[in-house]
Amino acid sequence: MDVSEVTGGHIAEPTVVVDDISVVYRTKNQTPGRTNARTSIVKTLRSRRLGDTAVKTKALNKISFVANQGDSIGIIGRNGSGKSTLMKVLAGLIIPDTGTVYASSNPILLGVNAALISSISGAQNIRLGCLAMGMSHAEIDAKFDDIVEMSGLEHEVYHPMNSYSSGMGARLRFAIAAAVDPEILLIDEALNTGDAQFKDRSKQRMAKVTAQAGTVFVVSHSLGTITGMCNRAIWIDKGDFIMDGTPDEVAKEYRNFIWRMNEGNADYGRKIRAELMASLPEMRTTLLPNGWKRSR
Amino acid sequence: MSIQEETKAEQTKAPTVSVPVNLVRLSKVGQRPDFLDYLVQLWDRRSFILFDARARVQSGNDKHHLGSAWLVLTPLLNGLSFYLIFGVFLGTSKGIENFIGYLIIGTFTFSMSTRSILGGAKSLTSNTSMIRAFQFPRAALPLALNVRELIANIPVTIVMLLFIIFTAPAEEITWRWLLVVPAILLQFLFNLGIGMLLAPVLLKIPDLSHLLTFVIRFLMYVSAVFFAESRFGKYPVMRTMMDFNPIFQVIKIIRDSVLYDTTPAWRAWEVLALWALGSVAAGLFVFWRGEESYGRV
Repeated sequence: MDVSEVTGGHIAEPTVVVDDISVVYRTKNQTPGRTNARTSIVKTLRSRRLGDTAVKTKALNKISFVANQGDSIGIIGRNGSGKSTLMKVLAGLIIPDTGTVYASSNPILLGVNAALISSISGAQNIRLGCLAMGMSHAEIDAKFDDIVEMSGLEHEVYHPMNSYSSGMGARLRFAIAAAVDPEILLIDEALNTGDAQFKDRSKQRMAKVTAQAGTVFVVSHSLGTITGMCNRAIWIDKGDFIMDGTPDEVAKEYRNFIWRMNEGNADYGRKIRAELMASLPEMRTTLLPNGWKRSR
Repeated sequence: MSIQEETKAEQTKAPTVSVPVNLVRLSKVGQRPDFLDYLVQLWDRRSFILFDARARVQSGNDKHHLGSAWLVLTPLLNGLSFYLIFGVFLGTSKGIENFIGYLIIGTFTFSMSTRSILGGAKSLTSNTSMIRAFQFPRAALPLALNVRELIANIPVTIVMLLFIIFTAPAEEITWRWLLVVPAILLQFLFNLGIGMLLAPVLLKIPDLSHLLTFVIRFLMYVSAVFFAESRFGKYPVMRTMMDFNPIFQVIKIIRDSVLYDTTPAWRAWEVLALWALGSVAAGLFVFWRGEESYGRV
């Protein structure tokens, strides 16, 4: 059934197949008049009726790629380019407007925004988060100490979470999500908040996932993090898929692009962007039927 | 077969890569499961639901000096204020035997439905961070909220019964007092179902949360919380609405069995059970159908 096995070529099994996904956000375009200090009520009402229009923003535009076992993929792009949206789509938290994501197991997303219940203690939040991911009380008991150690919290773990610093909260969330031993791990900016010790721990964690033939996605604005930790990088910009390659190659082109844009030579930057996009291979998926087994 | 196409494709400039998706190994992410699978998944998260409910009951009043005492104090003060206004000043107690008990049962029972339905309806809008952090059957959220209200309601019900024992005309304690338990359980199911029906609507049209308060207030008047149920005798429409109002039936069942020592009418149980089971079935189904849309911004 698998030709690659017969021919002996080393082809890793895909863990995530992203097939032509698009996500559109609907939002309101507020009239500029709203920011002015004083306007009469009548004026405000009228301008609201006439000026505020519903706009659609394409957060992701026809993204397709395949991630394989053992890949750790860094995702780079400017602010608002759709990196976090892509993570949420991969995790199944947002269903794309068109397209499909296929995965070999349920991807787990760790983001800094994933708030738990702030009024209860870190220890209770560990239990709650693990239960939400479907672990049993016995499994949590077995892993509890590991999670606390991973989070780097000591006696603070029994304090309510709203007394935590943002770094402590991020570390706790990371530790909770990493506790399920996910095959596919999505890390959204979480590495930026931790200290050096925590960065070390999370690097080890990522290495463990990829060593177990899993896949890791990392969103980070630090190109150093990505070239240092990943073996592959993806660049997206304003919802478009620009480039896919080794971290060094992609980082080079990305730096070049940013430099051109900052220098004021935006046209040249856009040219680079268009050329890179044009050279991307087009991806088509063919569904192999799953026989008698029901899809779940 | 994929490798041949890939090598061929590499030669042309903007090649096409064909990716076989083997559905034995890969499955769609975030896809809503079958209805029965969904119920099984929900059952598998029962410890999450219980833990979430318990944790929030404990922490709900942490900011207040009196803490959990407010679980009892709030309905108590409610009952007292209604007693003063309607019992003493306006005199709606005319013709009602043991008015304090009548009033306490009405307000305590009704407040459980108010809190559960409002909370259940807002369970999606107020838990967006949980929804975006973890993948779990979302029906766990309204379910956890209703379980939490049920747990919080236990001390309230005990206070209610103590209040009735210790206030003026001493009531005899009979086996009928046990009927309070199934009545409250059916009420729980009804609240849950209505909450699950409202939650997806409220997520789409947040404005409705303003209207909900008025609907609840109307519901309170057709539940005869603080006046005699015969008061609407002149208006047959109101009378029929009360007859088919499940919350009124809960209140009536509890009043009959605790205060008036009469076995509640079979019809009251029928109306209540039909509403409870019907709304839970409809609520679960509607909630499940929208499952994929709850993570959207």
